[in-house]
Amino acid sequence: MHSSLRHLLAAVALLAPMAPALAQSTVDEHHLLSSGGRVDISNVAGSVRVRGWDRDDVQLTGTLGEGQRLDVQSSANRVQLKVVYPQNSRNSRGAVLELRVPRGSELQAATVSATLDVADVDLRRLQASTVSGGLTVNGQAGESDLGSVSGAIRSQLRTARLELHSVSGEIKASGGSGGEVAVNSVSGAVSLDLSAVQRLEVETVSGNLGVRSAGLQPGGRISLQTVSAPVTLTLPARTSAQLKVSTFSGDIHSDAGEVERPRHGPGSSLDTRIGNGDGDISINTHSGGVRVNLGTH
Amino acid sequence: MNTHDNDHDHDDLAARLRRLPAERVPPAVAWQRIAAQLRQAPPQLPPPLAAVPASVQYRRRHWPRGIAAAAVVALVLAGGGRWWATHERPVAVAQASPLQRQADVLAAEYGQAIAAIPPETVPAELAPALHELDSSAGSIRSAIAQSPDAGFLLGQLRRTYALRLELTRQGLAAAAFPT
Repeated sequence: MHSSLRHLLAAVALLAPMAPALAQSTVDEHHLLSSGGRVDISNVAGSVRVRGWDRDDVQLTGTLGEGQRLDVQSSANRVQLKVVYPQNSRNSRGAVLELRVPRGSELQAATVSATLDVADVDLRRLQASTVSGGLTVNGQAGESDLGSVSGAIRSQLRTARLELHSVSGEIKASGGSGGEVAVNSVSGAVSLDLSAVQRLEVETVSGNLGVRSAGLQPGGRISLQTVSAPVTLTLPARTSAQLKVSTFSGDIHSDAGEVERPRHGPGSSLDTRIGNGDGDISINTHSGGVRVNLGTH
Repeated sequence: MNTHDNDHDHDDLAARLRRLPAERVPPAVAWQRIAAQLRQAPPQLPPPLAAVPASVQYRRRHWPRGIAAAAVVALVLAGGGRWWATHERPVAVAQASPLQRQADVLAAEYGQAIAAIPPETVPAELAPALHELDSSAGSIRSAIAQSPDAGFLLGQLRRTYALRLELTRQGLAAAAFPT
């Protein structure tokens, strides 16, 4: 009896460190998806890693935490994967997942605190969002919409249409993004390094704004707005556009044009033609300073 | 009206101040549109307010009273004893730029929409963002007051309020976020 009890205690002692592992369950899902089909994945905590591949099926692997389950709905054209958390699961570990998606598919991924890492993809459309988790994206997508509340966004996506939005999360985008780009942030800093843009619109309230672009496509437009944050725009010297800058109390420094100040009252502005003046560039701030650099590309 | 005694003047002032918020309420059509949108996406869980900053809760509950109090201060500062007898609106409103008046309407619209969401606990992930949005809206309104010709600020304000409303609604469904 005593011996049995000792063995039991010994077994408990040996297995105790493995308890979290035992509480986890593994995931191994495979679903065929027709060409151009859609994949949805959502997870609250932990991590989601997405990679593209040249197969026509969707694969999800990884582990679920204690009490979690995977809700799967699948058809030929759509695969929906959702991690369902138990009520009052604040102390449980988040799910750690890796998703493989076919080339040319559409991906919609959403997390809360889980990090979301999307790479090596070639998607028709990408929509990815987090609340506080970091969002990292690279690869290629026909169009893309990336959002977060407080998580940082890092994009190195080659895409014709890019939308980025956050409240306080920092936004950094570089790589082949160009074409049409729209960025909104409240207090998160925005840093963009883009290819030639057709249409670029960026708004922040207090988040610093820095934009570098390889140029403006013929007839292209750039609009940058902040309330209190500084703005820096860097374009090549061969840029052809009408440049208009206006600020209530910020300073304007520009490689082109003369800054004008009203005889009475606050404010300063600049309105000048760069090259043939084909495109339009407008910058508005309330108190943020503006810097326009030409000729560094 | 000038023949009224002081008590009557005070009664008249109080009555006018009580009517002030109604003058700022947006057209019924606008509110019906917002209400319809809210109904289209009903909350899945009881909504958050306990974790909303106390100052925000205060603003929600005492919105009309706050405006009235601000108007009283404006009247006193303007030295107005009976000036309202010859003006349809208080000085604060009469001197407001068109941009400020539109900002007031926006604030009222979205304030009502947000207040219409039952109060509950905001998920920890969203509380700082809501605070940031409230603070940013205040900054934008200050900027509008300083720079009444900067039309782009109104777009910024609209976007900030819309995001505040959207996140508040998201908070309803996300009250069970693990952290």
